[in-house]
Amino acid sequence: MTQQVYTYGIVRAGHRLPRPATGIGAPPERLRLLDVGPLSAVVSGAPAGLLARRRDLLAHQRTLLTLSREGPVLPMRFGSVAPDEETLRRQLADAPDEKLRTLERLDGRVEMNLKALVVEGDLAELLRQDAHLRRLHHESRTRPGYENSVRLGQAVAESLTRRATRAATRTVQQVRGLTEASAPGPTVEGCALNLSFLLPRENESRFRDAVERAAAEHAGRTELRVSGPLPCFSFTEPRRPPAGRARPRPRRAAPAAATSEGRS
Amino acid sequence: MTTTTTTYRDNITPVPRTGTLYDVIDIILDRGMVIDVFLRVSLVGIEILKVDIRIVIASVDTYLRFAEACNRLDLEADTRSRTVPELFGGGGGGMVRKAGEQGAKKAVESGERKAKKAATGAKKAAGGARDKVKSALPGSD
Repeated sequence: MTQQVYTYGIVRAGHRLPRPATGIGAPPERLRLLDVGPLSAVVSGAPAGLLARRRDLLAHQRTLLTLSREGPVLPMRFGSVAPDEETLRRQLADAPDEKLRTLERLDGRVEMNLKALVVEGDLAELLRQDAHLRRLHHESRTRPGYENSVRLGQAVAESLTRRATRAATRTVQQVRGLTEASAPGPTVEGCALNLSFLLPRENESRFRDAVERAAAEHAGRTELRVSGPLPCFSFTEPRRPPAGRARPRPRRAAPAAATSEGRS
Repeated sequence: MTTTTTTYRDNITPVPRTGTLYDVIDIILDRGMVIDVFLRVSLVGIEILKVDIRIVIASVDTYLRFAEACNRLDLEADTRSRTVPELFGGGGGGMVRKAGEQGAKKAVESGERKAKKAATGAKKAAGGARDKVKSALPGSD
């Protein structure tokens, strides 16, 4: 009989399971290792009716973080279910060297995510600093109407986004030295920057301190949020081209996509 | 027009927050190794789990709200007394600039207090006006 297998991540053979060895589901599914050569998959049964519930998202993340205390973990995306054990074994047997290289790269590292959010803040300050906005403001006041309002509002939105992007770029420069790689996160509306960093675990608190200093510096103008340590979700490829090759994207008013700056 | 929810939380000091699911939901759902032949969990109902952002920037509603907010500002009074070159033109105006900023901040704060009271009514009025304009300009949206 075939049974679906929920897959948390891939580890080196001999990796110890956490105690209690439980994962997603209610009641929590029991974790086990599925060994193939030099690698093991950390798996459990797949609960029926699996959805992206808060409880299970947290359990997936917690399991991976706990596992990473015992050695590097190549994390699977949430909700990865192998149709059966045999399929999973075949996948593990495929390109094991590549997976081992990735594990080596992730050994002792954590992922930290930095988001820079556009903040409305003090619009008067923004207008004083921007002649173009003042002109649109004047027009909108002297000739009130829908179109002038939209034009003014859109220019304000663009200006706020540029300000957040500048703050983000500066912050990235300030923390770059503590990190080894970066990878843009998915586009999130309202985020001028969504960037994940790979860094040695021992740099975590210094990284956090640096972001907190930057957050204080930009308070009221741009909100900087740091999250982590996370499982290394954004660094699962063996040889990622250095982040420096990322092309700068055209800056638009629209929710500023994640940007990746070059590594120094 | 799409309706968007806007969060106003500018009075809260932005400090970095750590480890809340909402700040990393994008990463958890969208990053991590993927194996093609695996099944993927359904993301039905996931829209309730979104990164908690401050403002939805790219929407006409937001633009109009920004414009409203700008039009409530009394920049004229402020810039008459301190010209822009004085404020930002370098030339050793550090103190002046600081004083200007503080004055402006106060003005804005008191303006905001007043504006907040009027905001609900104004918003309704603006919404009504917008609808009228839109119905008068077919196909403009």
